Amino acid sequence: MRLLEAKKLGDLAAALQAAGYRVIAPVEDGGVVRLREWQPGERIVTDAFAVNSAKDFLLPRSEAIARYRIEGNDFEAQDVPVEAPKTALLCVRPCDAASLAAMDTVFNWDYADEFYNARRAATTVITLGCTTADEHCFCTSAGGAPDATAGADAVLRPADGGTRLVLETFGEKGEALAAAAGALLAEGDAQIDPPAEVPARFDAAAVTAWLRENFESPLWQQVSLACLGCGACAYACPTCHCFDIQDEGNRKEAVRYRNWDTCGLTLFTAHAGGHNPRADQSARWRQRVMHKFAYFPERFGMLACTGCGRCGRLCPAGMAISETCAAIDREAKAAKR
Amino acid sequence: MSPIDRLRADAADLLRQGRAKVVLGYRQRGGQCIPVAVTDPEAAGALAWDPACKQNLAAYLRKPEVRRLRPVALVARPAVMRSLVVLAAESQVRPEDVVVLAVGDDGEYHGVLDLAGTAALLKEKYADLGHDAAAMKRIEELAAMTPEERAAFWAAEFAKCTRCYACRAACPACYCERCIVERNQPQWISTAARSHGNYAWNVIRAFHLAGRCTECGACEAACPQGIPLMLLNVGLAADVERQFGAKAGYDAEAEPVIGSWNAEDPEEFIR
Repeated sequence: MRLLEAKKLGDLAAALQAAGYRVIAPVEDGGVVRLREWQPGERIVTDAFAVNSAKDFLLPRSEAIARYRIEGNDFEAQDVPVEAPKTALLCVRPCDAASLAAMDTVFNWDYADEFYNARRAATTVITLGCTTADEHCFCTSAGGAPDATAGADAVLRPADGGTRLVLETFGEKGEALAAAAGALLAEGDAQIDPPAEVPARFDAAAVTAWLRENFESPLWQQVSLACLGCGACAYACPTCHCFDIQDEGNRKEAVRYRNWDTCGLTLFTAHAGGHNPRADQSARWRQRVMHKFAYFPERFGMLACTGCGRCGRLCPAGMAISETCAAIDREAKAAKR
Repeated sequence: MSPIDRLRADAADLLRQGRAKVVLGYRQRGGQCIPVAVTDPEAAGALAWDPACKQNLAAYLRKPEVRRLRPVALVARPAVMRSLVVLAAESQVRPEDVVVLAVGDDGEYHGVLDLAGTAALLKEKYADLGHDAAAMKRIEELAAMTPEERAAFWAAEFAKCTRCYACRAACPACYCERCIVERNQPQWISTAARSHGNYAWNVIRAFHLAGRCTECGACEAACPQGIPLMLLNVGLAADVERQFGAKAGYDAEAEPVIGSWNAEDPEEFIR
């Protein structure tokens, strides 16, 4: 076993920085725990969940994807170089790593997204196994587990009561990381701590099956009444990937931005003529659930939800997609009886 | 009967008598206080209330699904009652559509009130609500900074903004059918979640609420990024009070401070 003393997590971050990685880690920042670039000396938070997800560093909330100039009748398009620094996502969670399968798929489905792919290629994912969970966690209902390794290049498993971390690497990126850690790692034995207990909250297959038959259901009104229609859930979600393209500039030059967008906002489907096919918030909330648990599985054979629980933790209105799925599961079971 | 039991009984009665089609209140989930919509009198027992219930339920009154359930009863603490008075003053709610289950910040329960009764209670018992002391202290610290230091402080805070608009969604006074940030012909505010657009969005949001914000704190509580939005809101509310002697949400007949002109206005910024 390759072991790292838990108190040397900061040293690992420093070693990775010295090896040329931009180190992204969960740190205390203005009263919340946030994934952001780690600064020397900062404590890496291992006992709380970050408000933002690993997505921020693969699909930034805003990025310039093109520039252009117009002079008279001349139009000149200018490429924007992709910003893809060598990055280590340190101490993200198994549910973050699990989201990469969905993201990789959607950004290489009908079009290979050079911006996403360049950053993805430059990113090494080091997860921290979960030994605690809160009431919002539901990875086990979304095909994951608190000690899952899917999507990770390396995992750190808490051991010996959290005093040590056992490093396990997968593939070249993981090995490069271990090489950068160098002497911080010691060979030895340790007792791996039991993973967090995350109780099953719903049967995802039953939810998917119910959704196929129930685009129209009174349940949608009931479960969405609290929704106020913001983007907090989608922007915190590791798999929500919808974006909007906006050109901003003047008559002579402009920048084309790709900005996050979300089906929770009214404007998402508003037509220029004034019609909105998703007329109320229940239709928008249905879309969010359908996309994650019906359309994505139908098209790509996987859920677009990893059960990280951020949406429920952050929702100003106290909504949680796990509660909606649990309500659907109950409805599906009641219908069978 | 304890205050919460009286509130539950009143909520059930309102639903049973058809005086309200829905009661917007709070329930406990784990250690969290979250909004709940009760339509069945038998379910009123689930209602809970404590001062940690930060959401301003008056924000739901703009939702078409909720408007279809008028009359709407809602659990309201003083800041939320003031929001209702602001909405009435701005012709956003009709008195006959709203019933108030009035609670005090101290856990007191004042019973079932109509909008006129709510305004009377506010004037009688909550006329001297001060601005949040911690926010005022921080505002003074910011005021003592150099403009460069202050700009750097806000630049760092606004850099966190993802433009999820949870602040807007949580605010009852943010009811514009199409918010200025969504207007694109012409585009007033950059939609990119970057420096100048984030700055413009947050400042314009705060200014549009000047003289209208009742300092309920729902926007700041809603912000997933922890941006201290109340420093802007409380600062502006304090300025409005000092300059114009006005406090939002006490008088349903009052002219809006920013939308009216008075020869007595101090205009201390014009020198």
